[in-house]
Amino acid sequence: MRKFSRAEATAYGFLTVTLVFCLLPFLWVVLASVDPNASLFLSLPKAITADHFVKIFTAENGGRWFFNSLVTVGATTALVIIVAGMGGYALSRTNAWWKRPFLYAIILVRVLPPTALIVPLYKVMLISNGVMGALVRSIVPPDSIRSAMQIFGFVDGYLGLILVLSAMQLPLALWIIKTFFDLTPKDYEEAALMDGANVFQRIRRILVPLALPGLGAAGLLTFIGAWGDFLMPLTFISSANLQLLPIGLFRAFQRANTIDYGYLSALALLYMLPAVVAFGVARGFLVQTFTGGIKG
Amino acid sequence: MAMTYETRVAWQNRMLLVPALVLLAGFILIPAGAAIYISFTNEALSGFAAAHPQLVGLKNYVRLFSDDGFWNSLVVTAFFVFGSSIVGQFVLGLASAMALRRPIAFRPVFNAAILLPNAVPEVVAGFIWISMLAGGKYSTVSRIVGLVGIPPQNWLGSLPLLMIIVVNTWRGIAFAMILMTSGLSAVPTEVYEAARMDGATPRQIFWRITLPLLRPTIFLYMLVSTAGTIAIFGLIYTLTRGGPGGATEIIGIYIYNQSFTAYQLGYGSAVAVIMLGVSVAIGVIYVRVLKVQV
Repeated sequence: MRKFSRAEATAYGFLTVTLVFCLLPFLWVVLASVDPNASLFLSLPKAITADHFVKIFTAENGGRWFFNSLVTVGATTALVIIVAGMGGYALSRTNAWWKRPFLYAIILVRVLPPTALIVPLYKVMLISNGVMGALVRSIVPPDSIRSAMQIFGFVDGYLGLILVLSAMQLPLALWIIKTFFDLTPKDYEEAALMDGANVFQRIRRILVPLALPGLGAAGLLTFIGAWGDFLMPLTFISSANLQLLPIGLFRAFQRANTIDYGYLSALALLYMLPAVVAFGVARGFLVQTFTGGIKG
Repeated sequence: MAMTYETRVAWQNRMLLVPALVLLAGFILIPAGAAIYISFTNEALSGFAAAHPQLVGLKNYVRLFSDDGFWNSLVVTAFFVFGSSIVGQFVLGLASAMALRRPIAFRPVFNAAILLPNAVPEVVAGFIWISMLAGGKYSTVSRIVGLVGIPPQNWLGSLPLLMIIVVNTWRGIAFAMILMTSGLSAVPTEVYEAARMDGATPRQIFWRITLPLLRPTIFLYMLVSTAGTIAIFGLIYTLTRGGPGGATEIIGIYIYNQSFTAYQLGYGSAVAVIMLGVSVAIGVIYVRVLKVQV
């Protein structure tokens, strides 16, 4: 057997302790999700069951929360890709005087903590909700106003939540896509222009295929950010049937006396799965995410 | 009159940015400006002031400076940022990055394990740590420290601030590790070889070469991670909601509790303006000192 040097042994020892520290907390949620007698404490299940996972989609609200999260976060991701795709392209190609101020502003906007904006944001949402309410009342018949507002409302409605989540994720997406277009040669566009392609043809045939990796990275990071967001759905969604997964999970966990640990563990695993997968795919872009565009 | 090609492109670029501008203005810039205005009013979420908010001048700011809750939240925030991002995440992240630079077996496994806590949503992180830190002798942490004879306790009740520092350290090692790895990879290996030839000990190499060469990366890390740690909300809210008795009430949680639990929107906004000011200052330092390329 090869002998370990002291430095190597230290490295292995340190990494093993760190690995245990990082993974141990997950052990409970994994075991509890298949344990018919799950409790708050870590224990080895005496039997294994899939009931908790089945229950998510059959008996309780978990499936609905999951679906709600998927719809709002999916719409957010699509909107951010489109808006940041257009804006990032313009920021990359322009040489106008506002280019540098705009880019510096994006960096500053990124450090503004959402908690510091939440009160005035609440007011903006209330006012927008009033305007939207008047609009909806003048268009839809009285008996469907409530359900229309659940979709188009700004407070306790999905449109407002989608727009807020999009605005929060937009600066990073703009930055990534702009940086990506900076590395894409202009020659293809110019050649297509010479051949007489109109704006839509150039976007569909040249720009979107060229920018696909950048748009994909921005989309993944937007998804991760919006999927994990807790503050916005906590503040702006109150109806039970509109609730998103993080808040549903949080509230169910607060009901001190009747917590079904096995079921909530299964739900937590389901909730973290898309985020972990997206994180794994987006790993190559992580340095950019964190620093917001320092060239490494 | 026909537009030239250049003017048309210039207009096209401006139009393409309009949707992004509308979103940023409507949901970030206008609210940030409104925070300043609201901080000068006695606006509330319920009661008389809710219907008739009035300008009260600097009253909220005066109150703020004599409010123990506000000073408490500043101190808690300082401990939280220092303990978790400047000490915990940084030390463990740098050590992980250095250990993983060696030809280590199972490197992807170690790497993935360190990244996982960062990938899970805040609520899930809170959920699993409530189990880890639960009171009584059956919780995981109680059992582990029981091995060295420390009595079991309700960890989030007896050592709340230390516990949220541990949890946030756990969550953020990955960020420090990723940045430090990219910083270390920019250091040419010849430098290390030359130092070893000259007979430098590993300790000397670390203090005299690695750390000084990493300084720009470390500075970048400190800024970004401080700004990010100040902004944390969901992780602490799911664990303690700022309690017990304000022990974990970092400034963002304090704003939320003042605004939506105590219904004091005007006062909450004054605290928010202070927080915005600190964050913008960090952002300006970031841009000026690091000379960000745009």
